[in-house]
Amino acid sequence: MSVKIAGDLVVGNVIIVEGQPVVVMNKQYNKSGRNAAVIKVKAKNLMTNRISELIWKADEKLEGVILEKKPCTYSYFAPPSHVFVDSEFNQYEIDAEVIADLEKFLAPDMTDVCEVTFYEGTPISVVLPRSIIREVEYTEPAARGDTSGKITKSAILKGTKHEMQVSAFVEIGDKIEIDTESGEFKRRIT
Amino acid sequence: MRRWDLFCRVVDNFGDIGVCWRLARQLAEEHRQDVRLWVDDLTSFSRLCPSIATAADSQRVGSIEIRHWSADFPVVNAADVVIEAFACELPASYIDAMARRELAPVWINLEYLSAEDWVEDCHLLASPQTNSRLTKHFFFPGFTPRTGGVLRERDLLADRAAFDSAAEGEFWSTLGIPPRSADEIRVALFCYENAALPELLRAWSEGPQRVRLLVTPGAATAQVERWFGRVFLGAGPLEADFLTAHGLPFLPQATFDRLLWACDVNFVRGEDSFVRAQWAQRPFVWQIYPQAENAHRVKLEAFLACYLAELKVPGAAEAVRRCWLAWNFGGEIAAAWWDFAENRQSVERYAKDWASQLDQAGNLANNLVCFVNGT
Repeated sequence: MSVKIAGDLVVGNVIIVEGQPVVVMNKQYNKSGRNAAVIKVKAKNLMTNRISELIWKADEKLEGVILEKKPCTYSYFAPPSHVFVDSEFNQYEIDAEVIADLEKFLAPDMTDVCEVTFYEGTPISVVLPRSIIREVEYTEPAARGDTSGKITKSAILKGTKHEMQVSAFVEIGDKIEIDTESGEFKRRIT
Repeated sequence: MRRWDLFCRVVDNFGDIGVCWRLARQLAEEHRQDVRLWVDDLTSFSRLCPSIATAADSQRVGSIEIRHWSADFPVVNAADVVIEAFACELPASYIDAMARRELAPVWINLEYLSAEDWVEDCHLLASPQTNSRLTKHFFFPGFTPRTGGVLRERDLLADRAAFDSAAEGEFWSTLGIPPRSADEIRVALFCYENAALPELLRAWSEGPQRVRLLVTPGAATAQVERWFGRVFLGAGPLEADFLTAHGLPFLPQATFDRLLWACDVNFVRGEDSFVRAQWAQRPFVWQIYPQAENAHRVKLEAFLACYLAELKVPGAAEAVRRCWLAWNFGGEIAAAWWDFAENRQSVERYAKDWASQLDQAGNLANNLVCFVNGT
């Protein structure tokens, strides 16, 4: 546990609010006239995933959290949780609802090293590598004559059945690179 | 009926206590709430409310309990609703008492009034407190329905409408001010120390319009007396060609309202008189609370943009803006004043529309009670 001054918060900081960890998603500083400077924060509760807007005086002392992080790989889905494993084969379950945004890229055979964040020993979030490679299970045949990559089409990823837009020249069985932050196709690998 | 504790620290002048006292009375008289007002400076408070005994730790004015907020804060039970006015820090022992309550109180930080855009986004946001289960909410007064509004007593607009020329004549008589003459303009002056005032007094004294100036006690009186090189003695005015100035005693809030209703133009300052000038529906010039490095300019510009948005008479909005900027930040105040005075009729008509618009935001005490009832 650490003390965080509200005015010093940055996006990604985790603080304790009403006994639960919340991550700062957005911060706005306001000060005018005789009003005390205030910090408006958009924050996500890491236990419930609920997003809320909060406000503090800029000089207010908040309870910060120093979080433990471990590299892990994805193992399998055991409803209602996804299971991750560290290098010592310890297993960690994370509620699927909490990492719903990532499920589209979680495949049982994936080897990507993810970063699992822990709060008081409990895994609370996962960050995928910025780039991942996935195989295209199905897509319509490439449109003839256009190799610029500007025209896109739908493709379904192997393992997750996630449907996303890829360049028109991508074919079934191709491996593609995906930006996990934007969720967008980056390039064809093979 | 809920019990309310309202905390007020008098930083300087009378603005903070002026707002808190109006709010306390509205909560008690119009909403039948049980109000306890904590004030750290009873001497300043007694200027607004002469019945206050400055040495008493506890007293009642009407149904409102007034407590002296001293350094040695007493052991008391926390109220159902707690208002810290203008981000004043509550006593630690009182916060402990709040935390001990079975049902946590509704805790509100009442902020200063501002027309800036961000105020709408921050109004009523929660501020969960570290090391306790308490949550504070920020309440921002403002000029739009998405803010907390401004203070307005239930009968204010009706009283204002009933203030006709006969009532005005009677009002001047009670102050010992002569009846109006056809060729004069009456101006109320309530300001902080203002570098533009000597130049404005000179311009008024040179005419061509006769100006009868009603000078409030404090910085305005001190500056006017310095400019004349004489002091106000009793009801006798100070005169210099086209300018006649009367020194006023400290007026209770209701009487001060009537002064603003009776004058043709009102120079006001800070927050409380600024709001009252808007309800007066007269042209006014606002001196914002000055801060280092002109930090207050953004706030003044925000209000001007909001206030003048619908003033479409050619030249009128620019005349108001120019006069306000010269009054607050220096510039050609004499020329700006005469331009303002020329547009006075248009601005006065607009002032009535503005008051109607302001009323749409709902009044602050009502909005507070609605919020508390909804929590």
